[in-house]
Amino acid sequence: MERFRKLLVTAAIFAAASLIGYGFSIAGFPDASIALVYLLAVLFAVRQTSSLLTGLITSLAATFCFNYFFAEPRFTLTVNDPNYYVTFLVMTVTALAVSTLTARVRRDAQTAREREQEAKALYTLTNLLSDAPNMETIEEIAAGAVSEGLQCGAGCLGFDASGNPEQTYIYKPYGRERSLIRREPEEKEELLFRLNHLREDHYEGEEFYDWPMFSEDKILGVIRIQRADMEKMDPSQIRMLHAMLDSISLAMDRFRTAEQRIQSREEASRERYRANLLRSISHDIRTPLTGIIGTSEMLTARLADEPDARQMAEHIRKDAAWLHSLVENILTLTRLQDQGLSVAMETEVVEEIVGGAVARVAELHPDHEIEVELPEELLMAPMDAKLIEQVIINLLENAIKHSPPNGPVLVTVAAGAADWLRPGAGDPQDAGGQGAASLRDMVMISVCDEGTGIREKDLPHIFELFYSVEHHNRSRQRSYGLGLTICETIIRAHQGLIAARNREGAQGAEFAFALSQQKGEEIQ
Amino acid sequence: MSVKILIVEDDKQIRGFIGYALSNERYETMEAGSGGEALRRMEEDRPDIMILDMGLPDMDGMEVIRKVREHSLLPILVVSARDREKEKVAALDQGADDYLTKPFSTTELLARVRVAARHLDQQLTDRSEPTLTVRDLRIDSDKRLTYLSGREIHLTPMEYQLLHFMMQNAGKVLTSGAIINELWGAGYGNDTQALRTLMAGLRRKIEKNPGKPEYIVTEIGVGYRLKEG
Repeated sequence: MERFRKLLVTAAIFAAASLIGYGFSIAGFPDASIALVYLLAVLFAVRQTSSLLTGLITSLAATFCFNYFFAEPRFTLTVNDPNYYVTFLVMTVTALAVSTLTARVRRDAQTAREREQEAKALYTLTNLLSDAPNMETIEEIAAGAVSEGLQCGAGCLGFDASGNPEQTYIYKPYGRERSLIRREPEEKEELLFRLNHLREDHYEGEEFYDWPMFSEDKILGVIRIQRADMEKMDPSQIRMLHAMLDSISLAMDRFRTAEQRIQSREEASRERYRANLLRSISHDIRTPLTGIIGTSEMLTARLADEPDARQMAEHIRKDAAWLHSLVENILTLTRLQDQGLSVAMETEVVEEIVGGAVARVAELHPDHEIEVELPEELLMAPMDAKLIEQVIINLLENAIKHSPPNGPVLVTVAAGAADWLRPGAGDPQDAGGQGAASLRDMVMISVCDEGTGIREKDLPHIFELFYSVEHHNRSRQRSYGLGLTICETIIRAHQGLIAARNREGAQGAEFAFALSQQKGEEIQ
Repeated sequence: MSVKILIVEDDKQIRGFIGYALSNERYETMEAGSGGEALRRMEEDRPDIMILDMGLPDMDGMEVIRKVREHSLLPILVVSARDREKEKVAALDQGADDYLTKPFSTTELLARVRVAARHLDQQLTDRSEPTLTVRDLRIDSDKRLTYLSGREIHLTPMEYQLLHFMMQNAGKVLTSGAIINELWGAGYGNDTQALRTLMAGLRRKIEKNPGKPEYIVTEIGVGYRLKEG
């Protein structure tokens, strides 16, 4: 239809040119002016099209028309004057040149228009994307823009921050206004496998092409286009697609980064709030505890002559002291979690830390004998001294709690960790021997009591939070809970080992931990 | 004349039992519930020792220490619910004489007050005593000799200096910084490694069991204290 119209227009132009030429010839103008009119006709005719073939045909047609209507003898294709041949040749070549140039100008204008449209479409896309409030909107905009810009059906599937595809993807069929379809993507594993093993920048499936978008190796999303549509695309459309992919992935990346920033900020402030709360609670508990402990001590002293009342006062003090150690442990745990389980280590003399801890516990439990065995050599180990002191205090408190009245507790410091501290030791599958060298380079601190020991079924859970062991002979049951859990957390933060077992060849339990030793200069 | 002690503490109950415990030991006590009141009392009543809580309603304990130290050398014993080692060291460096973390036992408090009272006497008498004695430890500073239960023990010059400094300040906590400053001078910085090693060596000579020290106890993260009793 369009072609037919163009043909008609061309015919009309030539008819007009022939009429003007006829007028010229009556007026007696030279043939050259008639030839020029035909050249003008060619120029007008090729303006409708950018095709070179049309240019050639119209050029030849112009020459023939001139020959037929105006060269003597008129209305034949023969000529009397052979000079006309030169005129025909020059005319054809000129017409051809004119038509070619015109066609090129037209083509350039066309390309420029296309480019402008592309740029406009991309600009609109970027603008829309930058206002998108969430990932889903980005996907909707992306699917719509690709579908509209490339005249095809297009889908967009987003991936979450951990690199997993979302449950549904958004598909926009071509043509239909605003009809977005939500579809379920194929198996996650299959999709991820395919995208992770790409050899090119896209995947060619039987039904569709997948164009993944990445940011530093992390997948952000996929644009999916029907295979049939994809095969119809010309290079300029492919170029357009790449440009769109770039701006979509940029938007997705920006959104993800912002999301992560907000998330980590929220997390940090929540963490800070929680830590502050716990700290101030602990602080506020300490003040009344000071009053309770101090006052009950004074009472105990004053009630020397009344044994029953004195004992009650003494109980108050003991319970307050226990509450205090609980508060201390909560504080320590809070701080550890605050620091993300990282500890500030300094090289310490091991026996000094042991001595400090033993002195503090001995003060609180004067009726229990605490023996300390040290090796000849001075052992040094990098640690957070305050935390390791707390570990030793907790282990000592635990040993005393499970000891018979006045039962002795033995603390041993030794170079090299015992094999039973190794994770997996005692496991029948365990080959042993592995890591023996690193065990030798550790320093071990163990605490033994002469209590009833630990039941086999409790052993694996002994360091778990608030795991408590039932006591048949005690009316008031207290959990092992927090104290041992904190020991385990602290030692783990030190990359050390900690374990518990029943003593071999003696009654009671043994808790031990090991830290990497500092091998340094000789110590005088 | 009995020793006058000013108790600066905003918690009434704690103020009460500290006052009670101290008067039982025949100290004369007076109380202040805020920093401002404490400073006023300082001028009006001239106490001999101050027991100071760091968390006061009107000003920070650190500021009280600084203001008091502008014109007085009285022993300041800090009691605080703040347990950060940094804060303890800061208070001690600011001029506090000793530090107790809440909650504390009355026995502990009384022991610290006794130390402060004794140092009060020493301030009046000659500080450069030729002999220093702490339980079974004795130093003869003229001859630079050290005795443990009457038997001479051989210390290196640095160990001797360390023990001498600790005995001069028996009962008081000394920050690692203060000891390093005394032994190596102000230019030495804060390298605690050398001090730890020196301390370990000294302990092996004076303690029966360094893992269960009877003389020098470590206040982890703060410093050392030579126990008197």
